[in-house]
Amino acid sequence: MTCEEFERVLPELGDGHTIEQEAHLKSCSACSDLVADLNAISQQARLLQGSEEPSPWVWNSIEVALQQEGLIRQPHLARSQPPAPLLGWKLRWLVPAAAMFLVAFGVLMFQRGTGQPPVAEQQPPPVGVETAGLQPMAGDDLQLLKTVGERMPSMRAEYEANLRSVNAYIRDAEQSAHSDPNDEVAQQYLRNAYEQKAMVYEMALDRSLP
Amino acid sequence: MTDAKKQQSNKLSEAEAIERAKLGDAEAFEALYNLHKRRVYSLCLRMTANTAAAEDLTQEAFLQLFRKIGTFRGESAFSTWLHRMSVNVVLMQLRKKGLPVVSLEETMETEEDAPRKELGAEDARLAGSVDRMQLQRSIAALPPGYRMIFLLHDVEGYEHNEIAEMVGCSIGNSKSQLHKARMKLREILKTSRAEKAAKP
Repeated sequence: MTCEEFERVLPELGDGHTIEQEAHLKSCSACSDLVADLNAISQQARLLQGSEEPSPWVWNSIEVALQQEGLIRQPHLARSQPPAPLLGWKLRWLVPAAAMFLVAFGVLMFQRGTGQPPVAEQQPPPVGVETAGLQPMAGDDLQLLKTVGERMPSMRAEYEANLRSVNAYIRDAEQSAHSDPNDEVAQQYLRNAYEQKAMVYEMALDRSLP
Repeated sequence: MTDAKKQQSNKLSEAEAIERAKLGDAEAFEALYNLHKRRVYSLCLRMTANTAAAEDLTQEAFLQLFRKIGTFRGESAFSTWLHRMSVNVVLMQLRKKGLPVVSLEETMETEEDAPRKELGAEDARLAGSVDRMQLQRSIAALPPGYRMIFLLHDVEGYEHNEIAEMVGCSIGNSKSQLHKARMKLREILKTSRAEKAAKP
């Protein structure tokens, strides 16, 4: 089998190869490199599924539309619960503060061309919070999860998954920005990543409050 | 809890949410949204490469779903139903804007669109060096027809026969477009790596 013949049948190939194709791959490094690359692209692509988080405003708009169309027939349970004034009073200032801090930090990183090491690297991980295969969470994140867990236990896992995801996004964006500080796209990704984290904080604290 | 039990528990909670949503329970709608928002939004974002458009499409997809939830009888998985609907919303939007969903004929491709021939010995293997950010950018740089098929197959996991039905092309065309998309991505990723290596 020649390379041209192999490339002609390549679009039709699934995971398996015929004996003739296997023999060609063993003897031809160009074709075996090609197959390895295409497999690597395909495998990495699967990890992109569901990796992006929509802004909280999307749900707000859907909810308003559902109410206007009369599809929602019951009041929102969480919002009909009696408030806990002390907790609310203590945390209400954190909503804009946390959001502003995270966006400002992202903008600062953007302006400095990521000359500073990421915050996560400067802080030792809290003891006992690392789980196998997962990065440890910073103290602020753990505090947020604690607050969410106290007010909305059923939503804690959702917020933990969101925080882990957005932290991974930030790490990726930081790596990309570090490797090429002049890459404007990477800087934009980094800024988006911090904005997303600010949104998660804002949404979590907003929902935790009466 | 074992994976199987977790899956079962997720299924039950989703089934419960569907039944409650049919009765107009706001929390149930929100629970369903939270379960599927990332996958739907990611799909919309990658297909449009525009945050605002992706958010609008996500909203539209979920609204269509919630309007029709009373008709869901569980013959197919809820996620399958939802993602099909999301894909249809995006495809309809792209067609409205006159953007190519998939090349009608392979012969219509220009020389520029077609993946270039292998350069041979000077190319090193990409395998192991493809990171998420690079891949995201490279996908955004794909021609829309290639991007659509690649996203549906390699990211979303649809089979060629499902893609052919969704976008209205032949199975052979879907396979061919996917192969060309992967080849084009390989080329973009290699060029990007070479440019990085050439920088002082």
